[in-house]
Amino acid sequence: MSEPRMVIPTMEAIRLWQGVSVPNAAARHGLAEMEALIVSLEALRGSMAFEDEPSSFDAALRACMERQP
Amino acid sequence: MSLTNLSMTEAADAVAQGETTSAALVEACLARIAQHDGQVNSVIRLDAESAREQAHGVDRARASGAALPPLAGVPMMHKDMYYRQGRVSTCGSHIRRNFVAPRTATVLQRLDAAGAVDMGTLNMAEFAQNPTGHNHHFGDCHNPFGLDYCTGGSSSSSGAGVAARFFFAALGSDTGGSIRLPASLCGVTGLKATQTRVPRTGVMPLSFSADNVGPLTRTARDAARFLTITAGRCPNDPTSAPEPVPDYEAALTGSLAGTRIAVVEDWFFDGIDAEVAAAFETAMEALRALGATVTRIAVPEMAAVGAYTAVVSRAEGAAIHANWMREYPADYAVHLSGRLYGGYSLPATLYIESLSRRGPLLRAFCERALGQYDLVATPTLRTIVPSLAETDIDADPENWARFMAVSANTRPFNYLGLPTISIPCGADQRGLPIGLQLAARPFAEGRVLNAADAYQRVTEWHHRAPSL
Repeated sequence: MSEPRMVIPTMEAIRLWQGVSVPNAAARHGLAEMEALIVSLEALRGSMAFEDEPSSFDAALRACMERQP
Repeated sequence: MSLTNLSMTEAADAVAQGETTSAALVEACLARIAQHDGQVNSVIRLDAESAREQAHGVDRARASGAALPPLAGVPMMHKDMYYRQGRVSTCGSHIRRNFVAPRTATVLQRLDAAGAVDMGTLNMAEFAQNPTGHNHHFGDCHNPFGLDYCTGGSSSSSGAGVAARFFFAALGSDTGGSIRLPASLCGVTGLKATQTRVPRTGVMPLSFSADNVGPLTRTARDAARFLTITAGRCPNDPTSAPEPVPDYEAALTGSLAGTRIAVVEDWFFDGIDAEVAAAFETAMEALRALGATVTRIAVPEMAAVGAYTAVVSRAEGAAIHANWMREYPADYAVHLSGRLYGGYSLPATLYIESLSRRGPLLRAFCERALGQYDLVATPTLRTIVPSLAETDIDADPENWARFMAVSANTRPFNYLGLPTISIPCGADQRGLPIGLQLAARPFAEGRVLNAADAYQRVTEWHHRAPSL
């Protein structure tokens, strides 16, 4: 199977932003597998609201606790 | 019955009642390790003399009439990422092969106070970063039920060693299934509590948002006692939950009358093996016979949970390892540097979105799956236990998809933060274990423990021992 086109530019971006070089063939293969994750995330576009903040999880844990009758 | 076949609670109670001694338990475990760990490869550091001294201390205390704490004299070993001040904690890695821990983990302090005997440290996936149990530096851990097969990871030896009767309980850690997977693949019980339920001070981090501390044991009753001792707020871990900790063991009733179980049909059954599906259905029948109702439901949010789960732990893991990935990339096993590398491609905006959606998705899951139901049941692993060879990325990158699929059913519960347990519920034609996963609302660990305990009162899978 041919390598997705996103692999080489993504490797360049990682080197630029993080200073990390591709360590081995498995890493390159793993990067190619990210294409499936990109597709999954594309399907979720629009689900985050403008007011959402990342701090709500602890509150949600407590809000979702089982209520005693 | 051999001493090593006792459960953790049976062993503790036997010491407390004078039916055996801690010294006898330690010698039985050491003999078992000496006889069989050459095959399993679970031990990194064995502190035999220290264990004997700890055991004699417990036996002297009992002889003097002192009241014993609830785990007094019970031999344990723990994944080599729980820090004990002054002891090397390798984290299963080459990079930390000489790392001397600066402090002792809160959970180890609590187990010490409960009288547990610490016999040493266990092999694990390098930096707790794989779901299979491969380890390039210390050698792969082998499944006691089939030595060519995966133990599950990352707490590979915690599962394998409890199954092999080397010790009575072990700490694992769970960021994407690393307690529940080795529990499932090795036929033991593994509990991941609610996110933040057990303090993480002195524990190697992998992903701050999804890391959990918890036990691998033979029974749910063992896990209940273990959790009662280790859970609860720790002032040194500001993220630990302040909710009061009940006596989970005392609350076990053996009854599931009125308990409503949901089987979520989305996600958890995709590509399931026939033997796993059959074992799961048989387990549902057993739960029905105990008084539970079982209903199949749809949770369309599972696709979002699955996608965001993959983002959070990979981004956080990559960030934690960035310096070493720049300076010593060759010091990691190929499968680990390969896995970490992809994390650097994730945009910060997607990471933030993934965290932002976590609360709303938890609320949605609880409303849809745990609104009218008390528990969610799934297979722990969709497939029968894979071999070490067919999930070895270092040998062949084409094994990547099979490697990553191992944790498909466990990862969502880390993102959702829910308490989840895996218990043995069958075996495939090769004799390798199959696991059942049960989850409940936040802080409802008592629910999953009671259901698991009730199931184990009427089934024998948790008694099954490997023939080494």
